[in-house]
Amino acid sequence: MGNYYDIDDILAEEELVSVVFQKGANGVGIDPSAEAYSVEPGSKVKLPFWLAYELHARQVVTMKLPACFNQQTRLELGADGKAVDLRSRCLYFYEFGCKIAPLVGDRDMGSFLLSAFRNRYQEVLAKAHSAAYTAASKLLTLLTKEEINLYEAAQSSMAAFKKWRMGGPRLQRASVLGRKRKSTD
Amino acid sequence: MAGQSDPNLSIFSAEEVEFMAEDELVEIVPNMRMDKLTLICGDYGPFFPQMPAQVPLWLAIALKKRGKCTIRLPDWMSVENLSQTLEAERDSQESFQVLPFHYVEISRLLFDHARGDIPDVYTVRSLIEDIRDVRFHKVETSLESFEDARSSAVKVKNLSAMEVNLVRPFVGRALQAFYKHGSPELVPNPERMPPRRPQATDNVQRRPLRKR
Repeated sequence: MGNYYDIDDILAEEELVSVVFQKGANGVGIDPSAEAYSVEPGSKVKLPFWLAYELHARQVVTMKLPACFNQQTRLELGADGKAVDLRSRCLYFYEFGCKIAPLVGDRDMGSFLLSAFRNRYQEVLAKAHSAAYTAASKLLTLLTKEEINLYEAAQSSMAAFKKWRMGGPRLQRASVLGRKRKSTD
Repeated sequence: MAGQSDPNLSIFSAEEVEFMAEDELVEIVPNMRMDKLTLICGDYGPFFPQMPAQVPLWLAIALKKRGKCTIRLPDWMSVENLSQTLEAERDSQESFQVLPFHYVEISRLLFDHARGDIPDVYTVRSLIEDIRDVRFHKVETSLESFEDARSSAVKVKNLSAMEVNLVRPFVGRALQAFYKHGSPELVPNPERMPPRRPQATDNVQRRPLRKR
């Protein structure tokens, strides 16, 4: 399901989801509250997404919508998307949302993510190509991984352009030149 | 998801764009006699003293460095034309003025190598800097507006190579993110999304979960 070579994709699947077991399972220690090495039907456990996904595909568990997509977050993002600290709620907010939407059967997730990203995109755009690093450091504490990638892409292209415009040494000295020849004896 | 963390979205560095700009033709006035140069990109010359000739910028710079020619300033780089362009850029908020595709790089190369051939070099330089700033500000404003339009396409005319290159990583990523979150797989409501062409870069294949 995930992209095998994408570290962000792997980390996004580490996010915890709370699930309710529909079937019992013996010999597994994934429920920390249980006394024995087993899981009772109906027990609630927080599992990383990659495990919950596989269990869900086998209809062992049902998933709940994680807290970072709850009604309160939606209201906050609707009110002032730029000021919401998504980083602390879920670093991989958008990726995680895309992954979990079909599993919890949330039909509005796509448009919700899109509107959240659209609101926050303007803020990233306004800072990305112009602001100095110190001015933007407050913004950076609020952004999710995807938004930070976006911001850094803009920053690095701007920095490369400035470097080119200012010039600097046009001719690079080959590293072999100027090295003293070692005496052979 | 493939492109989202792909660091290779920005393909060209500023130096590579400059390299491409060196193929643009400029007019030189040689002060030596030389036979025709037969190059892969075409034939240039023969050169006679005081007879203007069209050569690629890289050749002009090479000759200039050896003191074999003077470079004629391109028409668009004259002070009048630049001031006109700047005025027009400031007047129109949406459209961009027609400038050579490589104007940033050409002017930079001429400032570096042919200072003596440019009359009013400081005025020209500051005019070009101003034009670039005004244009870049316009690029940012137009990028701000494209996310309102519920479409994953932007149309900006007459952008130059360096300007495109500057915003390419950002715009590429942003458009991919918009595309991904707006993709009809997540939003099963077809009439709210405008039809879009399938993009090869962002085909996130989702396995159907429960087959019944």
